[in-house]
Amino acid sequence: MSELFSEFSKAVIEGNLDDIVGLTKDALDRGLNAKDILDKGLMPGMDHVGAEFKAGNLFVPEVLRSARAMQSSMSLIKPLLAETGAAMTGKLLLGTVKGDLHDIGKNLVGMMCEGAGFEVKDMGKDIEPDVFVEAVQEFKPDILGMSALLTTTMRSMEHTIKALEEAGVRDRLKIMIGGAPVTQTFADQIGADGYASNAASAAELAKKLMS
Amino acid sequence: MDQLPIVVIACQVFQSLLEELIPAGVAERFTFLDYGLHRVPEKLTWALQDTIDEIAQPSLIMLGYGLCGNGLRGVKARQHTVIVPRTDDCIAILLGSYQKYIQEFEATPGSYYLTKGWLESGSNPLQEYQKYREKYGDDDATWIMDQQYQHYKRLVLVAHTMEDLEKYRPRAQEVAEYCQRWGMRYEEILGSDGYIRRLIEAAAALDTADGEFVVIPPGGEIEQEMFMRY
Repeated sequence: MSELFSEFSKAVIEGNLDDIVGLTKDALDRGLNAKDILDKGLMPGMDHVGAEFKAGNLFVPEVLRSARAMQSSMSLIKPLLAETGAAMTGKLLLGTVKGDLHDIGKNLVGMMCEGAGFEVKDMGKDIEPDVFVEAVQEFKPDILGMSALLTTTMRSMEHTIKALEEAGVRDRLKIMIGGAPVTQTFADQIGADGYASNAASAAELAKKLMS
Repeated sequence: MDQLPIVVIACQVFQSLLEELIPAGVAERFTFLDYGLHRVPEKLTWALQDTIDEIAQPSLIMLGYGLCGNGLRGVKARQHTVIVPRTDDCIAILLGSYQKYIQEFEATPGSYYLTKGWLESGSNPLQEYQKYREKYGDDDATWIMDQQYQHYKRLVLVAHTMEDLEKYRPRAQEVAEYCQRWGMRYEEILGSDGYIRRLIEAAAALDTADGEFVVIPPGGEIEQEMFMRY
């Protein structure tokens, strides 16, 4: 059985779109549990990709292809996951900060957190602090995740946290941040609750922030 | 304080400029590192540290870099004093000032800058596409490119001299033609050598180095927050 799960991981790591669709269909036909496919096959595969990316052994194209493979498998198992009626882990609001148009990493975080059972609302890119505040008031997330790719734009994370404080909603939620230039030191400095260096660890962090 | 011997370590993008502006005999040694190092910032960190660690005599090390995607973070000064422009990357240096960079950034956040360095090292969307096409085929390569660049609005060739602008224009225009698939417009900006000139002046009289520069004393280490400006 574990061999089959590792085939899922392998297909994610290789970004093998053709294999993974067949693999998923077969596994579901054989009565495999959708949640197991996700937790033991897809997520560990993407976890590996994230670590290799961080280490400089994989680059954006490989990560994108892996994410696409995982997404295509997820779209097949998602309806089954919903059927189980399992409670959502929590609500996550996501966005790339003001002035920053990069959304690949943020999209990955959304996918991984969905995989981890979160209800995810993705606001997109170039999000002004005030727009984050409004969305927090409306969506009432447990966690706000902010992303930036540039050292120039990551400062907007601090401005957003200040805006949330001024609006009196900062204490209602946890804040996690990430993106290539972001560090744990920066997260501590601006008063974020957590930092993750890749999408897989962002999902782990989100779960931890809920407990 | 006696003036320490000056050592220049810089990205190749600034090679001709630094060699021209620093009179012979003023610097003990020049080392120009590969253009492509910024693509994996950790490799830039290691390359810089290796270069610094080879210098025995306590020196004033002038770094021709910005923070470069955190590539400079964690670089240790050892027994040397290090001075580096306080900018995110080479764009502000080529434009001539941090203020100019922020002005451009605020006017059009989705700008992709082409510099001599990026063109020489193959870091541009057209070359990326060609590389991906060989590896993944046309459909996948196009999909990968769209994922990465679909939100950009403008392609900007920036250089600090007219000669460089002219020299790199044909290649930049080829890239621009490809980038039209995302509706990106093409512009050129003639920057200036002002920032590099100020770096050289500040290195010659360290006590005059202002907020435009980060100065690391012996035993210190470069940290990201040193580059933050609010």
